[in-house]
Amino acid sequence: MYMRKTYTVLLMFLLIGISSFAQKMSVEGTVESTNGESLPGSTVMIKGTTTGSITDVKGHYSISAKSTDVLVFSFIGFESREIAVGAQSVINVILTESGQQIEGIIVTALGIEKQKSTIGYAISDVKGSEMIKAREPNAINALTGKVAGLVVGSSSEILGAPNVLLRGVTPLYVVNGVPVQSDTWNINPDDIESYTILKGPTAAALYGSRGQNGAIQITTKKGTSNKKDFTVDFNSSTMFEKGFLAIPKVQDEYGPGDHGRYAFVDGRGAGTNDGDYDVWGPKFEGQLIPQYDSPIDPETGERTATPWIARGKDNLKRFLETGLLSTNSIAIASNSEKYDLRFSASHSYQKGITPNTKLNMTNFNLTAGYNISKKLRIDANMAYSKQYTPNVPDVNYGPNSIIYNIIAWGGADWNIDDMRDYWQPGKEGVQSIYAEYQRYHNPYFMSYEWLRGHYKTDINGYVSTTYRFTNHLNLMARSAVTSYDLFRTEKMPFSAHPYGREEGLGDYREDKRSLFENNTDILLSYDQYIVPKLSVHASAGGNIRSFTYRSSYATTDYLNVPGWYNLSNSKNPVRSYNFYAPMTVLSGYGVADFTYNDFATLSLTGRWDKSSTMLAGHNTYFYPSISSSIEVSKLVTIPTVKSWKIRGSYANVGGALTTSMIGPTSDVLEYGGSYYSPYDGPSYINSATYGIGLIQGSPAASYTGTINNIDLKPRFSSQWEAGTDVSLLGNRLGFDFTYFSSIDGPDIFPLKVSNASGFNSVIENGLKYHRKGVEISANATPVYKPNGLKWDVSANYSTVHTYLKEIYPGVDKLNTYFKIGDRMDKIIGTDFVRNADGQIINDGSGRPIRNSVPQFLGNADADWVGAIRNTLTYKNLSLSFQIDGRFGGTILDYVEKKTFQGGRNIATVEGEMGIARANDVLGIKSYVGEGVVVSNGVAIEYDPDGKIINNDALEFAPNTTATYLQDYISRYYGTDNAVNMSRTFVKLREVVLSYNLPQSMLKKSFIQQASISFVGRNLLYFAENTDIDVEQYTGTDSYSGLQTPTTRRFGFNINLTF
Amino acid sequence: MKITKNMKKLLYIFILLVVTFAGCTKFEELEKNPNLPSEVPPSLILPTVINGMVYYPWSAEQRWNQFWCSNYAYYDDQQYDWTSTSFNYSKLNDVKQMVAEAKRIGLPENNAYSALAKFFNAYYYVDMSMRLGDIPLSEAMQGIDNTKPKYDTQKAVFQQALVWLEESNSDLQKLIDANDNTLTSDFMLNNDLSKWQKVVNSYKLRVLITLSKKESDTDLNIKQQFSNVIGNPGKYPLMTSLDENLQFIFNNSTDKYPLNPDNYGFTATRNNMSATYLNTLVDLKDPRTFIVAEPAPAKIAGGLTPQDYEAYVGASSGESLDDMSTKMLNGEYSAINKDKYYGTYTGEPSIQIGYIEQCFNIAEAINRGWISGDAEDFYIKGIQASWTFHGADVAANWTEYYNQAAVNYKGNNADGLNQILIQKYLGFFQNSGWEAYYNNRRTGIPEFLTGPGTANSERIAKRWQYPNSERTTNLDNYNAALQSQYGSQNDDINSEMWVIK
Repeated sequence: MYMRKTYTVLLMFLLIGISSFAQKMSVEGTVESTNGESLPGSTVMIKGTTTGSITDVKGHYSISAKSTDVLVFSFIGFESREIAVGAQSVINVILTESGQQIEGIIVTALGIEKQKSTIGYAISDVKGSEMIKAREPNAINALTGKVAGLVVGSSSEILGAPNVLLRGVTPLYVVNGVPVQSDTWNINPDDIESYTILKGPTAAALYGSRGQNGAIQITTKKGTSNKKDFTVDFNSSTMFEKGFLAIPKVQDEYGPGDHGRYAFVDGRGAGTNDGDYDVWGPKFEGQLIPQYDSPIDPETGERTATPWIARGKDNLKRFLETGLLSTNSIAIASNSEKYDLRFSASHSYQKGITPNTKLNMTNFNLTAGYNISKKLRIDANMAYSKQYTPNVPDVNYGPNSIIYNIIAWGGADWNIDDMRDYWQPGKEGVQSIYAEYQRYHNPYFMSYEWLRGHYKTDINGYVSTTYRFTNHLNLMARSAVTSYDLFRTEKMPFSAHPYGREEGLGDYREDKRSLFENNTDILLSYDQYIVPKLSVHASAGGNIRSFTYRSSYATTDYLNVPGWYNLSNSKNPVRSYNFYAPMTVLSGYGVADFTYNDFATLSLTGRWDKSSTMLAGHNTYFYPSISSSIEVSKLVTIPTVKSWKIRGSYANVGGALTTSMIGPTSDVLEYGGSYYSPYDGPSYINSATYGIGLIQGSPAASYTGTINNIDLKPRFSSQWEAGTDVSLLGNRLGFDFTYFSSIDGPDIFPLKVSNASGFNSVIENGLKYHRKGVEISANATPVYKPNGLKWDVSANYSTVHTYLKEIYPGVDKLNTYFKIGDRMDKIIGTDFVRNADGQIINDGSGRPIRNSVPQFLGNADADWVGAIRNTLTYKNLSLSFQIDGRFGGTILDYVEKKTFQGGRNIATVEGEMGIARANDVLGIKSYVGEGVVVSNGVAIEYDPDGKIINNDALEFAPNTTATYLQDYISRYYGTDNAVNMSRTFVKLREVVLSYNLPQSMLKKSFIQQASISFVGRNLLYFAENTDIDVEQYTGTDSYSGLQTPTTRRFGFNINLTF
Repeated sequence: MKITKNMKKLLYIFILLVVTFAGCTKFEELEKNPNLPSEVPPSLILPTVINGMVYYPWSAEQRWNQFWCSNYAYYDDQQYDWTSTSFNYSKLNDVKQMVAEAKRIGLPENNAYSALAKFFNAYYYVDMSMRLGDIPLSEAMQGIDNTKPKYDTQKAVFQQALVWLEESNSDLQKLIDANDNTLTSDFMLNNDLSKWQKVVNSYKLRVLITLSKKESDTDLNIKQQFSNVIGNPGKYPLMTSLDENLQFIFNNSTDKYPLNPDNYGFTATRNNMSATYLNTLVDLKDPRTFIVAEPAPAKIAGGLTPQDYEAYVGASSGESLDDMSTKMLNGEYSAINKDKYYGTYTGEPSIQIGYIEQCFNIAEAINRGWISGDAEDFYIKGIQASWTFHGADVAANWTEYYNQAAVNYKGNNADGLNQILIQKYLGFFQNSGWEAYYNNRRTGIPEFLTGPGTANSERIAKRWQYPNSERTTNLDNYNAALQSQYGSQNDDINSEMWVIK
């Protein structure tokens, strides 16, 4: 107690002392724009006073100030800047235009604004205004190609989450300095002032463990950004989706069946291959075959055969509709000396290209600041976001997917237009019409009857109060909430029969999730020159993170009454599950930045966490960071170099037992995809006990296969990076280069143990990955004419790979296939057996022998990722376009595999395959596959890795055995390596042509600014095989999935400010 | 500096914030997972333990038993290009936990759960060893105390299993004598300890027969053990009818018969009968033919009737699937009897350890001279029980059937043994897991068919590889076990394990 008092007194003395030593002196300098033009008429004010000055025609000013003062420089249309006087007698200032933060101030962790030159780690910013014209349904998609090291794999599905990777890992989302739980759909681009991407973990001290993977920080617009006391902003964008970028190419020459034979009786196996069929049936030649809609002979009760023709040519293209994306937003902003206020409302409506799919999103955002006194200020923000839709599609492979039904397993024997009236007469609501009744579904029936609703409300907000003791010392207290309530439903009609629901009696399901997280911080900040030329900015604070997650899931087990979707309508007992996960994390943290003479900065951070997810005794941990930057150009003058900075940082981050995403409470469904929502809550992996399942309809327990570890320590990872950025020729040319190296671990992981111990694994500390990469970005202005013609070009390049560095003492292999030093993106899958010369070895049936041990087939990660963007501006007109892509890596193309296996791939009717296919139908084996056969009758011997060990004893002869194409393909394309394709792709991402109405035109109207833009997105796509769009597959998964074809998007945007 | 009014305001706001949001749950309480139990009664684990034993009909094993075939490679095949199989240790851990939980709730040292646990231990270890050979036992199941257990020889595994079976029998006897009724939630035998005791002893006969190649091994002393069981029916009660089978009953909601109305359209024409089984029935003019299969449509089109044995044709399991599928399309092969097997959700019970097998095991022991008795009597009982199980009319057909030279028991000689083994194979149709394959592996009867369709360079594999994880978690012991058994560290599926040497 006594000590604490002494400190307080000491601190007070120090503060009072410093201020009393401050002497008035004369400060002068110039104010310029980033283009180097002087800014006459700028105001220079001493912060917190009414004392000020104005720059002259040359942009020069002088003012009398104390070393403790802070000068505020401002000019209309430019971002204002604050600079502490300190020991400087000359302060030259560069102001950046609003909406063009190229150089200067940047928002760092916790919303602390810093001079970019003082930051010792990689950070990029993107103006929000760049993202609201060529709209994407999901705001984050628009960041694609904008930032070196940030990879966005946009999903083509409605409500499909983009795969966002920052330096190869998933970043944290932060809004106005507060971590939020974001599914990325709840981010409203119209409210965003800027995105700041913190690429490394250096900010983790301020955000906690979740900052380990870097952060996408969003600063929302505030009422202070406009000089007029009351403005209204209106932005409207309408875009259409039309024209396919990637769609499977299918044959329409042969219909469903097997080895050329088909006849419909009941569509459930009673006919010839009329249930769960492949598309290996008879050729469409007008021959007479009983079909699903052939008339029934009233005497025999049998169907009268009708002509077999390709009535379903281009079924998918005829089924899909033009998509629409319409967004409208209005924002009202106002400010005075006392307050600033901004309110916005926006609505976005997306209509999918598959019929009856849509997504509505409504956002409200309220931001307010109020100066209670000169010393006390309150800020508050509330963002409300609602997503609602009665139906989003489920494209995951299976009978739940329209794509599965039309492309992979649907023939051209039926016409999509005949499927619009989808109930069988007299069996409305009970039995749909289709050409098959065992496995597949009528696409229109699926679209209009099998509905998946999604209703989610996100509420994020904070109240923050800042008390400014002096100009140098302030205290902030803030409490922030991030929360969501999710409600998902699935209505499955009678006669739908996906995997595991073959009785086809319908179902109803509800998935409810609710997450609430509060972060309460208190932060004391100190900002002062402690000695001449050395300034310090230091903050110390504490945080309480209180987290609660509750969820439930309930499903009927078939329905009694068709079309009544209610849990009380369950035929068999309802199955329901619930989950509850509370968590608390207590933290203390501190940061200190020391800047010497405005060119060298050293930053230190530290954080202590106490997490309730770890066991007592191991639940408290500390993690530090250090970073430094030196502005070389301030030390030595190099001709043409405007600025040159070198920087370096190191951070170590601790973490506890949490998991980032969470799925349904129970995954009882055997079909379709599971929706994952943001979580960051307890993983409970070290508290495994009994699992409960159903046996013979009753609950039964089984003991965990995981050994818990009472000595488990928190996980850690560390990363260092070094970089430099240089700006040449008066900012006409700039480069930024960063190298980073991250040791991800020692992690917490299930260390595999011999199953003979009774368990599979023990939770241990260990496992380190080495993740490293390079990020380069460059920008140039090759043309900048006095007449206003300007050409800007920017480009970026990045690479990242992850290697296995360490597993556990005495363990040198992870999951059989990964040795220390291996890349972690290896694709492992089935392969053909090949002889020493690399030829495929076939068996006695003339078909390739498949290796029963999976083999290494390639690496998933791109070698590098790059983007280039050009902007041409002339007076009020500007044209910009971006091309980006990812290069290298392989993927197994699931669409190719399934269309071949199903007999639908167009290649099966072309060339040699086409000839053999015609013979298949005639019962003639004619396809001779490539490769050899064993000619001396010796059995092939393998080692446990699947390598042939008796090569010397084997003799080979060319394969001459003919087989049916269908059977050859079944074996060949049943092997993973058959569909190994490059992940390389390039997209013409966006083209924006904008026209700003000239001020002369608007002068007399009430409109301040107006612009109209014509925009296009995803206009061209280049890849090895365009049956799928590989963009969404950013991860290390070996297989692609099914997907809705991707399309081009065109439209226009109107932006008005009143 | 004075505390100003504003600072007071700030303080109030801050206190309010902390009070509002900090909550009041005890920090340490939050460590626990509130969603799962850490203790359960043993009766909640028993269903898991029993269910873990079950082998289903119409499974891959039954194709490797050559009872049926898949002709549709997209779904399945009958290739013997095996790789690794899984251990049973997590199931054994449930057995261990069941015993521990029984103790925790205060049951005496010998209780229904612990007595049955000895049987489950024997069953699960033998099941593993039969697929693999040597396996860890003496050092296994010790959790974190030994995560790299050494392997015990297959012989040691069998010796221990026989001890467990002996103890399980006597423990159960004590409980039966004491009218113990603590067992609950046994969905197989309805908590009837007497039935379990018969299962244990019947299973013991299976284990002893499995060791027939070791009949002269004095450590095992299998003849004597077999004769002890048969000679002391009071001490070792055995099954007396099909009613006492250990069998899995299917229901129409949670555990449907694997073939049922739901999947007729998926599999009915993509699977056909295997020649190894169906053609044997046909050769013996066995009425089970008409019950399990449908006639080949091409034969019917050719003028035969469904009552003609010649109308029934199984495909060689070794046939390449391009041929098998097109011949099936051409109607040359017999499909599975759709009315019997696809007609309902409950199908027929799936026998795990049964009376039919027990009859043939005793017949085989008599034929081999291990015990005295009338082998033919047990041979006939076994066939008739199998007929009864399938619903074949014994009264109407038996005499004609048994009067055939191929069926009539040829005495306690090699021919008689061959007849017993053939009929035992027929009796295993779609039940008892791997037993048909194991019997073929042990005796070569019946001859299994090979070809491109069975892969593995047209050989019937003899064993599985150890689980892959052993190569990363227990490499030294794994290598030592391979070396000592097979003279090579190449985990070869075509090597012969001790029990069949």
